[in-house]
Formats: sequence, structure tokens, C-alpha cells
Amino acid sequence: MITTTSLYDQLISFYNNNSAGDEQPWLKDLRARAFDAFSTQGFPTTKNEDWRFTNISAYLKENYSLLPGSVSLQNVKSANAIPSFDGYEIVLKNGMLNEDVNIEGVKVTPFRTALQDDHLKLYLSKFIPLQKNPFAALNTALFQNGIVIEAEKNAIVDKPIHLIHVYNAEDPVFIHPRLLVIANRNSKLQVVESVFVTGESPLFLNNVTECYIAENAQVDKYYLQAFSPNIRLVNFTQCVQSSNSLYNNYTYTIPGANLVRNNLHLDLNGTNTESHLYGLYLTGSNQLVDNHTSVHHLFPNCMSNELYKGVLMDSSRAVFNGKIFVHQDAQKTNAFQQNNNMLLSNKAVIDSKPQLEIFADDVKCSHGSTVGSFNNEALFYLKSRGIGEKAARNLLVNAFAFDVTNKIQIPAVRKYIEKLITQKMSEAYD
Amino acid sequence: MANKSDDILEEYSSKEYEYGFVTNIEMEIAPKGLSEETIHYISAKKQEPQWLLDWRLKGYHSFLKAEDPHWQNFDLPKVDFQGISYYAAPKSSAKFKSIDEVDPELIATFEKLGIPLSEQKILAGVAVDAVFDSVSVATTFKATLKEHGIIFSSISEAVKEHPELVQKYLGSVVPHSDNIYASLNSAVFSDGSFVYIPKGVRCPMELSTYFRINTENTGQFERTLIIADEGSYVSYLEGCTAPKRDENQLHAAVVELIAMENAEIKYSTVQNWYPGDKEGNGGIYNFVTKRGVCRGANAKISWTQVETGSAITWKYPSVILQGDNSSGEFYSVAVTKGKQIADTGTKMHHIGKNTKSRIISKGISAGEGQNSYRGLVQVGTRADNARNFTQCDSLLIGDRCGAHTFPYIESKNSTATIEHEATTSKIGEDQIFYLNQRGIDTEKAVALIVNGYAKEVLNQLPMEFAVEAQKLLSISLEGSVG
Repeated sequence: MITTTSLYDQLISFYNNNSAGDEQPWLKDLRARAFDAFSTQGFPTTKNEDWRFTNISAYLKENYSLLPGSVSLQNVKSANAIPSFDGYEIVLKNGMLNEDVNIEGVKVTPFRTALQDDHLKLYLSKFIPLQKNPFAALNTALFQNGIVIEAEKNAIVDKPIHLIHVYNAEDPVFIHPRLLVIANRNSKLQVVESVFVTGESPLFLNNVTECYIAENAQVDKYYLQAFSPNIRLVNFTQCVQSSNSLYNNYTYTIPGANLVRNNLHLDLNGTNTESHLYGLYLTGSNQLVDNHTSVHHLFPNCMSNELYKGVLMDSSRAVFNGKIFVHQDAQKTNAFQQNNNMLLSNKAVIDSKPQLEIFADDVKCSHGSTVGSFNNEALFYLKSRGIGEKAARNLLVNAFAFDVTNKIQIPAVRKYIEKLITQKMSEAYD
Repeated sequence: MANKSDDILEEYSSKEYEYGFVTNIEMEIAPKGLSEETIHYISAKKQEPQWLLDWRLKGYHSFLKAEDPHWQNFDLPKVDFQGISYYAAPKSSAKFKSIDEVDPELIATFEKLGIPLSEQKILAGVAVDAVFDSVSVATTFKATLKEHGIIFSSISEAVKEHPELVQKYLGSVVPHSDNIYASLNSAVFSDGSFVYIPKGVRCPMELSTYFRINTENTGQFERTLIIADEGSYVSYLEGCTAPKRDENQLHAAVVELIAMENAEIKYSTVQNWYPGDKEGNGGIYNFVTKRGVCRGANAKISWTQVETGSAITWKYPSVILQGDNSSGEFYSVAVTKGKQIADTGTKMHHIGKNTKSRIISKGISAGEGQNSYRGLVQVGTRADNARNFTQCDSLLIGDRCGAHTFPYIESKNSTATIEHEATTSKIGEDQIFYLNQRGIDTEKAVALIVNGYAKEVLNQLPMEFAVEAQKLLSISLEGSVG
């Protein structure tokens, strides 16, 4: 049964009115399938196991417009700057390229241009299980803007690419940003994403990112989620790895947005791959931050390692669900997963669900999950050495987060995140 | 080497179930089907009071409203509830004064199962309340227990003799509307055990019941109720074997444990029901609701289970930690082989302050067996300083089996400390090599390693059971060299 909301009806009629455009037949077909998948599922409710602890109904009630307002670029750079970060900056206004980009070895194309032929037929929503992901299906059906970043064969991109998404939230908007990253053979690419929003009305981002990593290629992807409270983000990342590839995913959530839901799906579609998933969520006020990850080991000799850490304050709520599937052929798999949480308030709630599903025998898999608070002995130790309560707590939280922050390979980004943590922690104890 | 282990595996998996035999005793069987009349029939047969009949009917109505769950990690076979007979009793269902009066064929059955229902048992210190299908046929050691004021009887007897206790506690932990199988059980439960340990009494012996499903097409709906009053202690054992059947048999039991202030209940299970043949035909569906509540402060409930049988084992013995400083434990070894499925685990609800729980689960999958651990650790806002430690390990033998873990962890209290860890691996070649080197053949080496792996759980079992369980485990893994 589908619970229909006015938004659901609105989306249905929006699709019906806009699907008649002159798009490639394969794309039309894909969009129709995706929309069908969305309309039969509807928005997920807590009865859906994957959304059991994440009730989004309140966030769907706004009177959203489906077309974003226009965006001006004032203050964007200064407000969003990561100090001393040396990267190729790409600013996207409502998902549209602001200016032409010239990076050696990398092609950056807006979807509007890229979808003119069938080059993307091989990639677009190829691996996303649309029947199980209504949000990703909805995005596939409706997205218009966004870009394709394609690293050429053997291209080693010298500096990280910094994507700054700029949105206007003067009025409530519901939009579908999309990003496609293709790393061809032997290429190496780093992508850092951050978001800048003007206006304080609710902004619902139904984001989909796909990442295809060919043989011997390497991609590092960072998503810095330091949002303002009016943001609701449902983020779906699908990564497909071919043999001998390496993928590093970093998700850092800092107090702010009402709702953050990150779905991260990895398909290890070749042998000898390596993947690292790092996440940090610092939650405050009445935030709800939900990280769902799933890693599918499909071939032998792959290694995946996942580490997510959370610090919960105020009446915030966090959800972690990590799934590792080791399929029958994936012998010699090494898969590790760890989730640690610090609960700093009695009103905060954590739901952690690490999950292993293993169908091969020659594997080494483990997961661990902990929930705790400040270690009183550690606090006492610091205080007895003349460090104040606030500073001591700050130090301990930073130390707790260190396991994740020290994995950041771009020093400027790392400093930026560490500063944000310190700042948010200090605010919390003031 | 690969070939050899395949051969052994083949040989083992084709091995017939050792305890598959049928006892021919005249039975009194209710007509198949479930309706209000069936419940009236059962209730009348057992000469039950009106309140119990009413309660059964409530259970029946919740059963009608309930839907099959859909979250489990296996395909739930459609159970034809109308194709089951809900009451079976041996014809000679009179009470026996001594063992001599019991039907000799029945005794022989128990002998085959290795249940010494004789005077010698006194030496072993085990009181046996043997449940043969639905009616309790012999109860021993009553006198000793009576001295201490302990009530250990079949639940139908308890309904007659201690109605006030049964009425007060029946359904207080597992309500009649809990889940579809608990509702079914509430409506049609045939018999089961009742234990009451009075204040301050330490039960001098291990209480044990052997269950055995016999008549074809008769689902067993056991109901067990154990109450440990303030400051008392009891250890209860449950063990099962079932004869070979072609049709699936449903077993939907309910076990309720109630521990008052300072009381302790230890509940151990060894389950070895018929798992079905090589193709996965037949075999028992073991869908059981087991739950205990630590009502008072410092109460303790401990579940230990060794699950080697059944086509599908589906149960989550849980503890509600209501009293301050109360503690709950769960120790489990689950072995699946052939086409067996186990979806088992526990729930620990921390409600009171300083409550503790400990979960040790060891899964072993061989052949095409699927083994799932599903657990819930829940810490409420009042449960200051709650502490949980969970460890669930899986061992895989063969490349067509599966091991799955679904732990749910939920904390609403910042002073709580919860730890969960899980590993999955196969038996190391280096471990086997080491033992081979010292003259231990591969088969024995595997048994040794597995027994060592499960030791933490087996150690929790009372002596008599530990021996049986160890034997079961090594039989279960014969030839399953990874």
C-alpha cells in the first residue's frame, strides 16, 4: 500500500506533464521504468526495514516547488572557502555549470549535453536497484541538471576537484541533483563536494551520485555535509569498482541540517579491489542523521574496510546500518566494518545495525559496534592535570574522531573538518 | 583432499536421522482443523476452568487477526493450520502412581532416547517430567521437591491444583497477542511444564523435561511457565528429539520465565529434532516464543541453547530487564547443515538502572545450511549505567552455506555502554595442520576446533547436558572438513 501525500501526487503530475520532451529513446525508457518504480513504491515509511528508524513524513509535508529559484553567486566563495585548499573549483548553480571548466585529462560535461547521445546509456542507473530505492528512482525519472566528470585513460589529475553546489531556498524547493563520475583505466581522481544555500526555507535535496571506476583506477570522494538547518538531504551514492581499482569514500556530517540520509552502495565488480568507507557524524539539536551503507563482494580477493563514528548531542538521533554481502564466488574476501558512537545527551538516540550476510566460506569478515559516553577516568585524568572540563571534553571528542579525520588525505580538508568539530563542540558546551 | 572431504560430506549428509522411529501406542486424536469448537473441545477434554477457556478464545481471536511476519531471513513455508490436529493424548491417559504402571512401550521409547526414567535418576539428581506428545505421563521426584515447597508439574495439573498462580502469571510475559505463533499457542496449548520456586528456596536439583513429538500431523503446542519467587534459584533443562516424518511438523511453543527480586533462573535447551532429509523434505518447524522478565531488583535470567536439529529454527529467547541491577544472559550454539535454516538470537530490553546483559552466540553453518543471528539490545532512558556485551561468531564449513548477522542496537541513555562484535571465518588450515602434525586426523581436529569454538557456551550447560551437547556437536560435524 502506498501512502499518498500531496507531494507524491504533485510529483506524479509533474512527471506526466514533463515526460513528453524530445529525449533519446533509451533515456525515455529508463525514466519511465524509474518513475514506475517510484510510483509503485511511494515514499518509504517506517514499515520499510531500510527506513525503520528514519521517519521522513514530517519533512515531506512542506509545500515544495519542484523548480528551483534562480541563484546569485554573491558571497559563495568566501562563505564556502576551505582555507588554503588548492583544487579545481567548479561552481554549480542549481546543478548547472557556471562557467566552462578546463582540467587536463578530465572532461566535465553538463547532463543536458551529455544526454544528447547514448554514451551514458552504459552507466546511468545501471547498478542502482530502483525497485528498492524510491528516492533514487525518483531522481532518475526527474533529474535534469548536474554534471558528468570523466577522467581520461591514464590521467592522473594533479589537484582535487572541488564541487560547490549552490541553491536558492528563498521558497521551499524539492530538487534532484545528479552527479556521474567515470574514472577510466589507470586514472586517478579526487572529488570534494560541498553545498552552499541562500535563503532559509526548507530545501529537499534528493541527490544521486554514481561512480564508475575502471581497472587500475582510483577515486577519492569527499562529501562535506556542513549544512544549515533548513536542508533535508537524501543522498544516494552508487559506486561500481572494476578489477584492481581503489575507492575511498569520506562522508562528514556536522550539526545543521534537519535530516541527512546517506545511502552508499558499493558493487565490487572485479577481483583485487580495495575500498575504504569513512564516516563521521556529529549531530546536534533535533537532527536526524542516518547512514546506510552496503558493500557487495561479488568477486574473489577483494578487500573492504568501513569505519563510521558518531557523536550525538542534544535531542538528535542517528542511525547506522552497514551491510556486507559476500556472494558465493567471492572467496578470499576480507571485509571489516566498525561503528562507534558517543552518546553525550540523554535525549539523543542511536540505532546501530551492522549486518553481515555471507555465502562464501574462505573469508575473513568482522563487524563491531559500540555505544558509550565519555570515559570518566580519562576526563578525570585530564582535569587532574589542569585541563578544564570543556577543553578536556573537546580533546576527547577530537581524539575519538581522530581515527576518521586522520584518514583524510587532503590536508586542507582535514584541517577544515577538525576546526568545525572543535567549533561545534565548544558551542555545545557554552 | 577436496575430493575426500566431499565424500565424507556426502556420506554424512546422507546419514539417516538416528532418532527416527515411531512408537505405536493408541492415541486419542482430535479431528483436524482449528475453530472455536476445537478450542472448546481441548478445554473440555482437559476439564479446564472458564477463565482459561476465555483466555484461549482471546488467543484464538488474536490469531485470526495476526498476519505472518515477513522480516525473517528465509522463506516462510505456508503452514496449513487447518491440516493440523490440535490434540493428541495416549489413550491410557490416567495418572500413574508408579513407573510400573506406565505403558512399557512408552518406557522403551524413552529408553531408546536415553532418558532413564527410573530410580537410578535419583542418583543423577534429575527430576524428569516426561511429556509424550501432549499429556504428561509420569512425574518423578515430586516428593523431594514437595519438601522444599517447589511446584513442578504439568501445566494442566497446575491449572487444577494452583489456579491462582497460573491465572496470575500465564500470559504476563508473552501476551496472547504477541505474535501469530504465540496466539496460536495460547489458543490451543496442549500441555507443558509449570514450575514455582517459593521465596528463598534454592532448587536442589536440575529440573528437566524431555519433549518428543510423536503422532503424525500433530503440532505440539507446549506452554512452559516458570516462576522464581524472591531470592530463589532454579535451573531448568529442556531437551528434544523427534521421530522421522515426511510431512513437516509445526512446533510453536511458548516459554515464560518470571524472576522476582534476587531470584535466578537458568534455562537450558538442547534441541535435536528431525531436520528433514537430504532434499530438505520433512523436518520440524521450530517456531518458539521464549521470554523472561526480571521483575525485581538483582534478578537474573540466563538462557543457554544448543540448536542442532529442526528444518527451521526460529526463536529469540529474550529478557526484559525491569528490576534495577538485574542481569540477562544468552548463550547459543546453532548448527545448520543440509538444508537447515536457523534464524535465532535474543533481545535484551534494559529498563531498570545498572542492568547488565551478555550475549554469546556461535553459529556453525555446513552443507547448504543458513544461519542467522538476529538480536536486539535496547536501552531505555531510565536505564542508567546499563551495560551490554555481545559477541556473535560464525564458522563456515563448505562454500554453499551462509552466515548472517542482524544485530539491532538502540540506546537512549548516555550512561549506557554497549559493545557488539562479530566475526565470520572458516576453520584455519594452519589450525588443522597443527593438529595433523601432532597425529590427530582431520576429522577429529575439526571436532576439536569446533568444540573449542563453542566451549564458552557449552560451559554454561549443566553437566549432564554438556556431555550430550558435546556429543551432538561432534556428530553434527562429522566429515564436514572445510
